[in-house]
Amino acid sequence: MISETAKTSFLEEYFNNSHSNNDLFGFNPGLEQNWKTFFTSFSNLGNEEIMNRSQDMMRFLKENGVTYNIYGDPSGLNRPWNLDIVPFLVSKEEWLLIEAGLVQRANLFDLILKDVYGEQRLIKEGVLPMEIIYNHRGFLRECCGINLPGKHNLVIYAADIARTNNGKIWVLNDRTQAPSGSGYALENRLAMARIVPELFNGLKVRRLSPYYNAMRNALTEMSPQQKEQPRIVILTPGPSNETYFEHSFLSSHLGFTLVQGDDLMVKDNYVWLKTLGGLEKVDVIVRRVDDEYCDPLELKEDSQLGVPGLLQAVRSGNVSIANPLGSSVVENPGLMPFLPAIARKLLSEELKLPTIASWWCGQPKELQYVLDHLPTLVIKRIFRESFNRTSVDATLLTNEELSDLRQKIIAQPHLYVGQEKVDFSNTPAMVNGKLEPCHALLRCFAVSDNGNYTAMEGGLTRTSLDKNNMVISNQLGGFSKDTWILSGDETSTLGIKKEQEYVHAQKHNTKSDILPSRTAENLFWVGRYTERVLGNARFQRTVMQFVEEANKAFIDDDLNLKQSLLRALTVHTHTYPGFTGTGSEKKLLEPWKELSEILFDSNRAGSLSCNIASFSRAVYAVRDHWSTDTWRVLREMEEAWQSAAAAKHKGHYKMLNAVDNLITSMMAFVSLNRESISREQGWNLLDAGRKIEQSLLIISMLRSTLVTRREGQVEYILQEAVLKSNESLVNYRFKYRAHLQLPLVLDLLLLDPNNPRSLVYQVERLKAYLSGLPKINVGHALAEHERLALEAFTMIKLADKDVLSVADRHTHRYKKLDEFLTKMNMLLHNISNVVSKTYFKHAQTQQQLFRSGNV
Amino acid sequence: MQYQITHTTEYEYHQSVSLCHNVTKLILRNTHDQLCKKTVVKIIPQPDVMSEYKDFFGNHVMYFAIQQEHRHLKVTVSSQIEKKAASVSSLNFYKGTTWEGVKLLIQEPGDDNFDACQYIPETDITRSTQEILQYAQQSFTPGRSMFDASAELMQRISKDFEFKPGFTTVATPLAVVIKERKGVCQDFAHFAIACMRSMGLPARYVSGYLETLAPPGKEKLVGVDASHAWFSVFIPNTGWIDFDPTNNMMAGEQHITIGWGRDYTDVSPLKGVILSSGPHQLHVSVDVRRMS
Repeated sequence: MISETAKTSFLEEYFNNSHSNNDLFGFNPGLEQNWKTFFTSFSNLGNEEIMNRSQDMMRFLKENGVTYNIYGDPSGLNRPWNLDIVPFLVSKEEWLLIEAGLVQRANLFDLILKDVYGEQRLIKEGVLPMEIIYNHRGFLRECCGINLPGKHNLVIYAADIARTNNGKIWVLNDRTQAPSGSGYALENRLAMARIVPELFNGLKVRRLSPYYNAMRNALTEMSPQQKEQPRIVILTPGPSNETYFEHSFLSSHLGFTLVQGDDLMVKDNYVWLKTLGGLEKVDVIVRRVDDEYCDPLELKEDSQLGVPGLLQAVRSGNVSIANPLGSSVVENPGLMPFLPAIARKLLSEELKLPTIASWWCGQPKELQYVLDHLPTLVIKRIFRESFNRTSVDATLLTNEELSDLRQKIIAQPHLYVGQEKVDFSNTPAMVNGKLEPCHALLRCFAVSDNGNYTAMEGGLTRTSLDKNNMVISNQLGGFSKDTWILSGDETSTLGIKKEQEYVHAQKHNTKSDILPSRTAENLFWVGRYTERVLGNARFQRTVMQFVEEANKAFIDDDLNLKQSLLRALTVHTHTYPGFTGTGSEKKLLEPWKELSEILFDSNRAGSLSCNIASFSRAVYAVRDHWSTDTWRVLREMEEAWQSAAAAKHKGHYKMLNAVDNLITSMMAFVSLNRESISREQGWNLLDAGRKIEQSLLIISMLRSTLVTRREGQVEYILQEAVLKSNESLVNYRFKYRAHLQLPLVLDLLLLDPNNPRSLVYQVERLKAYLSGLPKINVGHALAEHERLALEAFTMIKLADKDVLSVADRHTHRYKKLDEFLTKMNMLLHNISNVVSKTYFKHAQTQQQLFRSGNV
Repeated sequence: MQYQITHTTEYEYHQSVSLCHNVTKLILRNTHDQLCKKTVVKIIPQPDVMSEYKDFFGNHVMYFAIQQEHRHLKVTVSSQIEKKAASVSSLNFYKGTTWEGVKLLIQEPGDDNFDACQYIPETDITRSTQEILQYAQQSFTPGRSMFDASAELMQRISKDFEFKPGFTTVATPLAVVIKERKGVCQDFAHFAIACMRSMGLPARYVSGYLETLAPPGKEKLVGVDASHAWFSVFIPNTGWIDFDPTNNMMAGEQHITIGWGRDYTDVSPLKGVILSSGPHQLHVSVDVRRMS
C-alpha cells in the first residue's frame, strides 16, 4: 500500500513553487476538472509505479523500433523516441475552435496553392507580393499550368499551434509539403494505451483512427484511373532520413508499399514499380521526399532521391502525388502577414485561428519595423533548407550575431519575415522524476476527404524545457507527448483499446503480393548476413574453446594445433593478416587480444561486429518485414553485444558468453522469421541468401582447415572443431559410432542429404528457392542461376567421399577435395551474382547527360 | 531575311543505354521580329514517347523518351525563319527613360510589367556580390538613361573580358569568370544579368544563334556556327532590348532567338537522364544559312 504522501508528492512539488494554477495548466479553465481527474489516476499509480511505467514506455517504443534520426550526430541513426508519460490535454471547447480553424486553413492553403500554379490572381491583383512566391525555392515553374484532378490539390495539411499565456491559440507554422509526425502521434497513443491504460480512466479521449481511414480514402480516390484498388506507394528518401521510422510505420499501417526513388521508373508516361516479377503500375505516390528532389530530369539535377521523368507522368495525368509537386511554395512564413486579406478574398471569411503578428521585410515600412525591433523578434526565412536553420530567435542573439543578421536582412529583405515572440503557456511534464512546467507545441493534421478536410482528433505535441527557446524542433532534441482531445461524447477508453486491435489486425492483412526489387535485395542480404554472423560466431567459439582448454588439458602437439586453428580462423573470417604472415608469432602465443578484436572491433573488415553492423543495416532497410517479437530480439541482441564489447577485458569466459548469447539471439531471429514470414517471394529471397551463405561458409571452413594433411592428433582435432562449429559432432557420433576420419566427416558435411548442416542439403534447398523465383524469360530453357544451381547440385551428387579423401603424396594436400571446393565456391558466387543482376535491377545508376554550352 | 538553321546534338554511349528521358528547348519561338515558318525534328533512334508543350516562360519544350537499348542518340532540329529588321524610330523612343524610372514604372499594373518583374530576383547562377554591384554602378550612375547605361555595360564587358572558348563549361561559377576575366557568351550574358539584377533591374538570358559570315572570297563551312547567348533588358512601355556583350553589338538581323529565361538553366538546349554506368561523349554542330 502506498502512503498518501507518496501518492501526491508529484503534484505537491509541482504546486509548491509560486506559479498559479492557471499558469501551470495552460490558462484554460475548462481543463481544470480534466486535469484533476487525470492526476487522481496518476497519483493512484504512486511515485514508484510512475517511474516504472515511464521506463516500460521507453522500452515499448524502443522495441517497436520507434526512432528519430538526427543528422550529423555520430550516434544519430535510430535515436530512440522520447515520450512523456503526462499527455497534453485539449478541452472539447478549445478543440472545436482548433478544428474549425485548421479546416479553414487547409481550405485556404489549397486555394492559394491552386492560384499560385494557375492564374496568380492574388499576385496580379496586389493581394500578395510577387517576391514572396517567386523568390521561394519551392516555387517550381515546371509545375505551372498542370491541371490536377480532384477537388483539392493540397491533400495533407499540418499546422503547429500553441497556447499563449492568455489562453489564446495561435498558429506558428504551416506545413504543406510532406508533413511529418502523424505516425509518431499514433505510436505515442499506442504506447500510452498499452502501458498506462489507467490514466485514461474517467476521461473521454477521442480516437485517432478516423484520420487514417480518411487518409486511406483520400489517397484511394486520388487515383487517376479511379481504380477500386489503386497501387499506392510511399516515397521515402531512405533509411537515413530523420523520420524514416514514420515512413515505414505508415507504410505497414496503411498497407502501402514503401519505396525509394530508384525503385520507381517512368516509362510510357506512367510510373512503374520495379518488382521481383517485373514492372507494376503505380497510381498514387505519397511523397516524403522534398519536391525539388523528386525529378532529376526537370528539377534538381543531382538528386538521387527522385524519379527521372516523374513530372512528365504528372503532366500526362497518369499519376497523382500527395502532396503535389510544388506544394512547398505555400509552406512560407512570408504569407503570414497577408493571410487575413487572402482569407477575405478567397473565402470571404476572417481567419478563425490568428497567426502570430508578422512583418515581411520586402516592404520598406515593415523592414524598418523589423530592424528597429530586431532583438525582440523571431526571424524566419521564407523557405526552409534541410541542412540550415532558417528560423532564429533574435532575443537570444549576441550583439555581434544581431548585426550579422541585420546585414543579411538588409541584403535580401524579401527573403525574411519578423515575427512577434509570444509567451507560451505551460503544461506539466515529467522530467527526471519530477513534474515540471514546460512549453508545448502541438502539430495538428488535416486530410482532404474530397468534400472538405478531416482533422486528426489528436496530434503530435512536442515540448522544450528551455523556457526561452521558441524554436522547438525534433532536430534540436526535446520530447513528445500524446495529445488527448477530450470529448463529451461516449467514446472512451474502450475506443482506445479498439484502436490498438485495429492496428494490429491491419498489419497482418496488408501483406503485399508484390516485392520491390530493392526489398528483395535487402532480404537476400539479411539472409546472407544472418548466416555469416552465425557461422563466424560458431567457428570462433569453437576455436576459443579449444585455445582455452588446450592450456589446461594435456594435448600432444598443443602449439601446432593452436596455430592451425587460429590461422584457420583468420582465413575463414578474412581478417588478414591476423594469425597469418610475418609478425603473427607473438599473436599465436598470446591470441586473446587478436581474438577479441576479431569479435568486437567494428572498424576491422571481417570482424563479427562489422558483420553484425551490415546485418543491422539490411534489417533496418526492410524494417516493416519484422514482427514486434523479432524487433525485441534484435534490440536485445544489439544491446547485449554492445555491453559485451564494453566488458571484453573482464575475462575470456565473458567473450565466450557474449558469443553464446549472440548465437542464441540470431537463432531466435531465424526461428521467428520461420514462424512469422509468409512463404512468398520475400521468404524465397531471404532463405536463398541464407542457403548461399551457409554453403559458402562450409566450403570456406573446410578449405581453411582440412585440405592440408596434418599429423595425427592435430588433424583429428581440426575435424572435431569443424564438426562442432557446424553443430554436427553429435550427429557424427550417433551416425557412425566411430572415431573421426576424413571420408566420414566429408560424407556428413558435404554429401548427407539428411544432415540439415550439409552442403548438399543447402544446395538442394537453394535450387528449389531459385526455381521459385519469377521467370524473366518464357520458354523451357533454365535460367542462368537455375542452371548453375543444378550444376552445383549434380557435382555434389556425383562426388565420391573416398576419392576426395586421398592426399597427394608430395604436397600433402587433399588435392581432389581442394579442387572440388574451389569449383563449388565459384559456382555459388556466380549464382549470387546472377541473382543480383537478374532481379535487383535498381543497381543501374542514373546519370545526367552532358549539356552543350553556348559560345 | 530568311534563314535555315540546322542544330545537331549527338551522344555516343560506351555501354548500351536501356532508358533515356530528355527535355529539349530547341524549337524556335516567335518574337516581335522573328517568325518561325517551319520546324523539322529528327531523332534517331525513334523515341517511344514524345510530347510538346510550352514552359513557364513561353518557350517551346519537347520531351522524349527512348525505352529500348541504344548506344547512339542523334537529335536534329531544322528550322526556317524570317527575320525583320528593327525599326529605327522605336530606338529613339525609349532613350529617355532613366534606370531609376524603370524601377518605378515597372511596378505599375500591366501584363508586360508583371511578366518583366520575375526577371529581377537573382538566381543561383547570377548571385550578386559586392564586386558585381560596384561594376554595375560604374555604368548605372544616378539619372542616367536605362538604354545608355545598359549599352555601356555591354561595351565594358566586351572590353574587359577576353573571349576564350574552352576556358569555361556550363558549370563554371560566375566568380571564376569574374576573377579570370575570361569566358564565352553565356558567361558574359550571366555577368551582365547579375549586374542588372544587382541594381534591382530586370534582365533575361536569351538563347539563340548568330549568323557568322565567311571571310571574303571563301566558301562558308557547314556546322561551324555554335549556339549563342546574350542578355535582354526591359524598358516599360517599350519592351525588351537585346544586347550581345560577346560581340559588343545590339542583337540585330543576324541574331536568331530560340527562347529565354532567367538564366541558362531555364533554356538549356538539351538535357537528359540515362540509366547507365558507362561514360558518354557529346558532339554538337550548328549551321546557320541565309536562304535566297
